[in-house]
Amino acid sequence: MFSRLQTKIVVLFAGLFAIAMLVAGMVVYARISENAARTVRGELQSSGVVFDRIWDLRARQLRDGASLLARDFGFREAVATRDDATMRSALDNLRDRLDLHLAFIVDMDGAITGLDAPMDEARATALWTALDSDENAAGVTVIADQTYQVISAPIMSPTLAGWVVFATRLDAAEMARLEELSAIPLKATVVRRDAAGAWTPVKGDAAFANPGRLSGFIEAGLKHGVARELDTRGGRVIALAKPLRELGGGTESALLLRYPLAQAMAPYQPILFAVVIVGLLGIGVVIAGSWILARRLTRPIMALDAAAQRLRQGGDVSVPVETNDEIGRLAGTFNTMAAEIRVRERTITHLALHDAESNLPNRVALKQFVDASVKASDGRITVVAALGVDRFHQVRAAIGYTLANDLLREIAERLGRRHASARIARLATSVLGFVYEARDIAEAQTFAAALQADLDQPIRLNGDSVDASLTIGIAACSPGQSTEAIVDRASIALDQARATRRKIAVFDADAYGDPARNLSLTSDLMTAMAAGGTSIHLQPKYDLRRGLVTGAEALVRWRDPRRGMVPPDLFIGMAEETGHIRALTDWVLAQAVKTQLMLREDGHDLTIAVNISGRLMDDQDFAERAIDLVRGARADICFEITETAVIDNPDVALRIIDQYAAAGIGISIDDYGSGLSSLAYLKQIRANELKIDKTFVLCLAHGHRDALLVKSTIDLAHSLGLKVTAEGVETAEALAVLQTMGCDLAQGYFIGRPMPVGDFVTFMRGAPLTAASALAADIAESGTRTS
Amino acid sequence: MFRSALIAAALLWSVAAHADDLTVTVRGRAGAPVENAVVTFRPAAGVPAGPIRFDWPMRMAQRGIAFDPHVLIAPVGAEVAFPNFDAVRHHVYSFASGNKFELRLFGRDETRSYRFMTAGVAAIGCNIHDRMSAFVVVVDTPYAAKTGPDGRVVLHGASGAGAFTVWQQDLRAPGNKLTRPVTAARTAAGESVVVDLRAAQAAHH
Repeated sequence: MFSRLQTKIVVLFAGLFAIAMLVAGMVVYARISENAARTVRGELQSSGVVFDRIWDLRARQLRDGASLLARDFGFREAVATRDDATMRSALDNLRDRLDLHLAFIVDMDGAITGLDAPMDEARATALWTALDSDENAAGVTVIADQTYQVISAPIMSPTLAGWVVFATRLDAAEMARLEELSAIPLKATVVRRDAAGAWTPVKGDAAFANPGRLSGFIEAGLKHGVARELDTRGGRVIALAKPLRELGGGTESALLLRYPLAQAMAPYQPILFAVVIVGLLGIGVVIAGSWILARRLTRPIMALDAAAQRLRQGGDVSVPVETNDEIGRLAGTFNTMAAEIRVRERTITHLALHDAESNLPNRVALKQFVDASVKASDGRITVVAALGVDRFHQVRAAIGYTLANDLLREIAERLGRRHASARIARLATSVLGFVYEARDIAEAQTFAAALQADLDQPIRLNGDSVDASLTIGIAACSPGQSTEAIVDRASIALDQARATRRKIAVFDADAYGDPARNLSLTSDLMTAMAAGGTSIHLQPKYDLRRGLVTGAEALVRWRDPRRGMVPPDLFIGMAEETGHIRALTDWVLAQAVKTQLMLREDGHDLTIAVNISGRLMDDQDFAERAIDLVRGARADICFEITETAVIDNPDVALRIIDQYAAAGIGISIDDYGSGLSSLAYLKQIRANELKIDKTFVLCLAHGHRDALLVKSTIDLAHSLGLKVTAEGVETAEALAVLQTMGCDLAQGYFIGRPMPVGDFVTFMRGAPLTAASALAADIAESGTRTS
Repeated sequence: MFRSALIAAALLWSVAAHADDLTVTVRGRAGAPVENAVVTFRPAAGVPAGPIRFDWPMRMAQRGIAFDPHVLIAPVGAEVAFPNFDAVRHHVYSFASGNKFELRLFGRDETRSYRFMTAGVAAIGCNIHDRMSAFVVVVDTPYAAKTGPDGRVVLHGASGAGAFTVWQQDLRAPGNKLTRPVTAARTAAGESVVVDLRAAQAAHH
């Protein structure tokens, strides 16, 4: 509810004190009220007794007057002789003297003399009966709708001749007279039971709002005879109901004496006022006191709170320790904790942003550099350069991990020294990232070249000097691109540079393609294989000795409805990466076997060569399936593999090659001379054929060195018992040179391009068993046809 | 505090030794005999002519601040003496219509008299002593007498048909009296009438 401790303490203290004061005040008030009520009740009770006396006194006074009249000889004579005039004058005289409202005579016959308003029969009879039944009948009765206190005295002349009746109206003036006689300021009201039995004030006293309650109160009050509290318009009163004797007996009227409670409480008002004042003063003192106390108590806590807030926001905080108590200790502990947190935070931040091996900033840090640079860009573009240390793995193998890491750090330090604003991080094992700004891509490339030049001087490690060179991939930030993407692109650009053997490459989006697209390419390829979207093309292999086409290489082609012809390099590479190469090879092999059988039917018993990916070379399952298929069909199939295919797992690969050879499947070593050719493997592989890479053959006619290489390779192969196929034969000259070199087979555009099976059949029909020269002419023609 | 109470009274009518006597017994309803009730008889044939005399003195003495007797039957025209045997004075008066008189402040052994000329009951009082009360029953018939302590009265010679009247100061009836017809036949039991009596009021005595 309250966000401040100080407020809470103040509110709590003041609240508790206020409650205590309230309770005390309430008790005092209750006691005083009770006391006042009891006092008033007692006074009222005794006043009631006094009122009885007064009432009696009044009655006696009237009676004395009446008796006096009744006994007056002249009056009696007047009554006895029915001297009306005398009677009236006597009554008038006494009425004035005694201040009466009514004075009249009722004679033995019930006749009434001296009453102005005639009384109805029933009332007159009732009056007569009441008078007759009691010698000195007195009480309250109603005459002409007014309530009167009535007394009577018999007129003896000398026997009972009638009664003198005096009546005093019970009106406000009479009540006022009664009230005046009381010791305490009472209010008196006469209430009377009405026809329905309810008690109502005689003169419609407006003080009583609730007639029902008043009636009930009087009913109970008459029964118990004690003063009790009653609510009236004028507030709460203590009231006492005194029964008034009715003329003729019974109780039909009552005198209600009341005393306002407020008046009873009036003498105590100063006491209550004093209690309230003392209470308010007390609350003020408590508020002030608890405020000061809470302030002293909470100030160090507030300081701690503020410090904690600052700490949360990463601020450098320390709270002064002022006291030796719990709060002081807390502040001390807080300071220690804050310091430790800062140290830990720095360590964590450092770890998060640095490479553990080299202690150089890491990839995350590089991204921060990029973000900062982009944010601060002033029209210049932010460039990320991925600096690949060439031959790092070899160097590391040579000098060890620790020194390799030192080498990286040294490179970073040197570049850092040369370029003051250098922001360098380690992106990968052998790759450093470098963030800088440039006006355009050209300037970025120039800068990258400068970086390379920085490493012209060897780096010294442990006293030894190590040569290091950099291949650099560059990616520039373009709007809307994520930092992540920029860094990745720089890395990709590095790969692209290495793939194309350049020193510096700017990221080439077209060459890279889209990884997401590649993934869909694979699934599309699988769909296409099932739906006939792929096919095999055959490229003829010409036997230079026999002068005829004795074989063909099966090459897979894929025409996609959306993409058109998809380059084999693209989808085969993709299939290799994604593991789909197996399914693709299965399919190509099946097609090759089918085609081989079909061509055999057509009279051309050719050896069909199928390229087997290095990934499948140690795949026993594939090998068994392939052997079953080829054997089952008795097809003449040759597998073209590269030497590097056996490097990964030579034992298994060589065993499987043996299995192929045993099954009658020829093995051809493909692309010989392009990769890392190893004579060791060449020796171990049970191959029948060696295919010289086209890079050598294409330049055969021009380069003396190439011709030498080809010639010696042919000799080498022959000496190992291998046939030699030259790839990339595009000219008659090359063909002629190869023939003279003793090459066995030739493959290339000059012989025939890869062509659909149907075209190949036509090709074969058009060139059956022809001589090389004749073929050459044909091929020249077909070259113009197909180009 | 005084209250009226109704007491039933029975009149027992007994026939005397002589056939021409009228015997009346007055009793309250509870059976108590009523003393000092005046019974008068008027024959249907009319009251015999000639002066009426009773065998008791025509005197209303004041003795011990009281009238003696309490009830005196007097014939019309009788002069009643009011001798005062008290040491104090009395102021004897009556407001009875036709018999209104006032005998003022006479002293001890002083005797005044008044001649009652009108038949009827004259209530006698003393203006000095309210408690003093007496009645002079002025009659115009010779057949009149007071009941004794047994409530019984015998009217000698009251023969023949007629009507008898019972008066008593507290008898609850107009004029404090009751009139009953009676036949010529007299029975041993006499006549009886039930009347209500007003309870005696202290001030009357």
